[in-house]
Amino acid sequence: MIRRGGAGLLAAFLVLAAVGAFSDQLGLPSFYLILLGSICFWIAQATSWNILSGYSGYFSFGQAAYVGVGAYTTAVLTGRHGVDFFLTVPLAALLCGLLALGVGAVAFRLGSLRGEIFALLTLAVPFILAAFARINASIDGGQGNTVPIPEAADSFGSPQQFQYLLALAVAAVAVAVAYGIQHGRTGSALAAIRDAEDVAEVLGVATFRYKMLAMLISGVLGGVAGSVFALQIGFVTVESVFNLTIPLFVIVMAVLGGRTHWLGPVIGAVLIVTLQDRLSTYGLDAWNSIILGAVLAVLVAFSPDGLYARLRARPLIALGTLVVVTGVLGVLNVWGETLDWLVAGMLAASLLAIVLGSRRTTAAPRAEADEPAVEDEPEVVVSEPGERVAVEPGKVLIECRQVARYFGGVHALEDVTLDIREGELVGLVGPNGSGKTTLVNLLSGAFRPTRGELRVDGRDITRLAPHQIAHVGMARTYQIPRPFDSMTVRDNVAMAIMFGREPLPLRQARPIAERHLATVALDHLADAYPASLNLHQRQLLEMARAIASSPKVLLLDEALAGLNPAEVDNAVRVVRRIHESGITIVIVEHLLRVLNQLATRLVVLDRGSCLADGDPRTVLNDPDVIRVYLGRQAHV
Amino acid sequence: MNVIQAILTGALIGGLYALMATGLSVIWGVLRIINLAHFGLILIGAYLTFQVATSWHLDPILTLVISVPAMFVAGAAIQWLFDRLRLTEFNSLLVSFGLLIIIIQVTSNIWTADFQRMSADVNPYATLSVAVGRLVFPVTTLVAFGLAALVVLGAHLVLRRTFAGRAMRAIAQDRAVAGAFGVDHRRLSVLLGGVVGATAALAGMVFALSNALTPETAFEWFGTVFAVVILGGIGEVVGTFAAGVLVGVLSGVVSAVWSPATAPFVLFSAIILALLVRPQGLFAVGGAR
Amino acid sequence: MSEPLLQVRDLDVRYGDAQALWDVAIEVHEGETVCVVGPNGAGKSTLVNAIAGIHPAHRGRIGVGGADITRLRGHRICEHGVAVVPEGRRIFPKMTVLDNLVLGAYRKSARRQHRATLADVYEIFPRLSERAGQLAGSLSGGEQQMVAIGRALMAQPRLLLLDEPSLGLAPVRVDEVYDAIERINERGVSVVVVEQDVQRALAVAGRAYLLGEGRVVLSGPAATLRDSEEVRRSVLGL
Repeated sequence: MIRRGGAGLLAAFLVLAAVGAFSDQLGLPSFYLILLGSICFWIAQATSWNILSGYSGYFSFGQAAYVGVGAYTTAVLTGRHGVDFFLTVPLAALLCGLLALGVGAVAFRLGSLRGEIFALLTLAVPFILAAFARINASIDGGQGNTVPIPEAADSFGSPQQFQYLLALAVAAVAVAVAYGIQHGRTGSALAAIRDAEDVAEVLGVATFRYKMLAMLISGVLGGVAGSVFALQIGFVTVESVFNLTIPLFVIVMAVLGGRTHWLGPVIGAVLIVTLQDRLSTYGLDAWNSIILGAVLAVLVAFSPDGLYARLRARPLIALGTLVVVTGVLGVLNVWGETLDWLVAGMLAASLLAIVLGSRRTTAAPRAEADEPAVEDEPEVVVSEPGERVAVEPGKVLIECRQVARYFGGVHALEDVTLDIREGELVGLVGPNGSGKTTLVNLLSGAFRPTRGELRVDGRDITRLAPHQIAHVGMARTYQIPRPFDSMTVRDNVAMAIMFGREPLPLRQARPIAERHLATVALDHLADAYPASLNLHQRQLLEMARAIASSPKVLLLDEALAGLNPAEVDNAVRVVRRIHESGITIVIVEHLLRVLNQLATRLVVLDRGSCLADGDPRTVLNDPDVIRVYLGRQAHV
Repeated sequence: MNVIQAILTGALIGGLYALMATGLSVIWGVLRIINLAHFGLILIGAYLTFQVATSWHLDPILTLVISVPAMFVAGAAIQWLFDRLRLTEFNSLLVSFGLLIIIIQVTSNIWTADFQRMSADVNPYATLSVAVGRLVFPVTTLVAFGLAALVVLGAHLVLRRTFAGRAMRAIAQDRAVAGAFGVDHRRLSVLLGGVVGATAALAGMVFALSNALTPETAFEWFGTVFAVVILGGIGEVVGTFAAGVLVGVLSGVVSAVWSPATAPFVLFSAIILALLVRPQGLFAVGGAR
Repeated sequence: MSEPLLQVRDLDVRYGDAQALWDVAIEVHEGETVCVVGPNGAGKSTLVNAIAGIHPAHRGRIGVGGADITRLRGHRICEHGVAVVPEGRRIFPKMTVLDNLVLGAYRKSARRQHRATLADVYEIFPRLSERAGQLAGSLSGGEQQMVAIGRALMAQPRLLLLDEPSLGLAPVRVDEVYDAIERINERGVSVVVVEQDVQRALAVAGRAYLLGEGRVVLSGPAATLRDSEEVRRSVLGL
């Protein structure tokens, strides 16, 4: 699969390069070369945008900054200072890379950064740069810059051939990079960030680092393409490179083609650029932006996943439509020219793919999902208290020393001191609002304690980032399961292995992931997507993902909530199996009857403090605990 | 003296920023929609003022009789559409970006991409100014500031004193509980969209009074206006006004002391710094959100 | 007996795939105080939210005063005289106490007399009139609970739903809240109290329902449930 994609990419590049190199012999008008060059430029830009925004989900409105900085670097240096063109390209890359890192460092450091704020911040960047260029006479000063054609161009035939081959090379590099990222570790990390950023962090993904990496790559590619763009347009002005239609174009292309796949922006760029070319050929320039804006609005509202997925679902029908429509128009030959027929064919194929694709997704609801989760072990574990695993408690794994956490004036936790030993299965209970989930969030690093100290396996985790805590050996599940929706069940689990304590590449992680899926009896659904799982299965997936990072401690946050009794029994079996495999477990749960059977120890929290701690039977007969649960006037 | 003049003129111009930003901020705070099309409505408002004043020789301020109702309907329609589509906060940004591009292209098709300005005989305000001692204030900036103050005061009173205003603040804080007390957020959101559209007509009129129009202007408002929205605190009308004035003063002073070239840099550095220190906005105290 | 004020039948409620209530049926008659008790996660809050229209019912029927409100959109339900004090209070923290209370009177029929109702609320909770101008979010937990109850009373309800009014409050404050509940009931408002504090709720109620894992396990006069071993076992999970 991977090799086939790479080979296809190489073949396409060679064919396109040959078309450019021998365009004279093929009798190709230079008009086609310019159009192809333009397509290549937009493929590179849309791909650059997609590596950050499509893969990681942080939409940037600042693509024009890279185009502008890249183009101006080349235009000013070659046009005004006579520097060799090929020297300016790496310089443009460097400047754009630095710019990207600067913006990223500010944007991703903002504490409560959300996608909207990131988008608006990136929107501002090209404006500042444009104002700077417009006013600063040594860059532009309102005169623009002419870009001379480099001497090297002579050895490539015509200037058009040279520009096209250059643009093609940049586009090919960009697409190859996008392809490599998508099939590598970085791609998995970025996809996880897009699906559920804080879950990714808790699983061990260093999210900040990967976001900065994506920014850097996106900036470098955008800058290089911008630098070549200066040559393509020949005369660089503020309006031509810092234009707000640039982010519009790249966003529309990527959203139209599909943001999660490297081919998406390519498909989008080809469609949009040829369509635009046809519109201006027929004097419909005035409709250009209207159509683009409408495409964006309609796509986001109704088909946000893009064309690639739809085309893949119906490749033959789409290809057939393209051939038939183009062919019939060509044979009839009553209107237009070759390019018109081709565009008509592509539009027809895209429309058909969108219409058919949406029908199929609605027609196949949760095919295999309604199967009950493994019923072939009928014995009811819950009613057999003797089965409780008697693991000898070992050394202390978790130490909480006078831990407190306040939210404004609310004291969610107050001076909790607690030791949890290796091999224990601790039930954490208490009324609503007693601080159970807060404690889990402190241990997993989602919040930092207001006061006090937390140690895991002897290491102070109080100031560590969640992904570092994961590497110390902590894993958790969420009360409301939060799988990575764009990955299969198997890859969800493999993520935890790839970024866990002993990182492995995806290919080696997958078989191990299947073993963990077998532990939670979910291996038969390895190829399904999380959306097709029911709640119980999603909770089992949470557990499989958590144990796949080979943790020392597993925190289960209300992993049984909302399940029916049969599902509860199955989940209890799974928890017990995990515990038997040697993982220490802390479980937050409302169902005391379950904990009474399952836990080796109960800790009761009440209004942020530890109320009771010990053997389940003793704790549940403690008058204080009974009072908390039954009310203050209860007589014991 | 120069600096004092710059501060005061900047503050008055800040009124226009505040006028543009208030509607955006309220819609974002109350309905969780980032409506970039708001800039499009301001643009259309400006062109309506230009067109009506030029063809019918109406006083530019009187053109509001036409542009305000028109923009009320447009704003309400856009909000109705957003409500039907059930967009997330982020997708509203993308969809309204598409709408904005369409609006800009349509205005460009109607009024061309060239600069258009009301001629002096229909627009007496452009050249008028009021002198106080050695300080001079163009009438247009006084109109901008006055209208902004009126809109902000009105919005503030409506939000604090009326049932509809309290309901809007309640929606912003907890939509489900507000619903349990009888607040119909659909009806209110369409109403709010309309009122915000009307303020866009006001902002457009003020802009047309002192500036030449081109469709691309809409893009130039982006940076400053969003800076005002974020600095003021999302959904905070009084904060937005204060932020508008602050931004106006800051860019006025920087332009006067150094050069106009540095203004955008200083401005955006200040904003980023402010966001790092106080992400919820400089003037966020306890408004709509 | 006449037709009940609140009649819930065959109610199922789901959160996505997770079913929280199965076949729940409860009744509340004019002037009654009924409590719903049960362990954490039994579905008590879900029941309140379904009646108040905060979360939709999946199946079944909810009737108030003879009218079917099951399919009504949230904001229409309060027109039938239902007001809610949600779990965790959910007051509007950035509005003043007065604005919180006045918003409670948003429904048309309550709006006209809102000044008179406000005087009544201040009579029940004198402290709220002292705090009228403060932001509700700055109040203590007990005072916030008063705001939440006061806000519900402003809607002039026939049926008041209280979801865990004692949650997170100091014992003295809990006493105050329950005194207020009794006084409200004396004014002719029917009350449903959902509580974790079983003894407290049973002390104030006439009848009671015990929920367990999303179903009604037991119902009857509050006095009977107070001594029931079943309640004790269910809540403690023994």
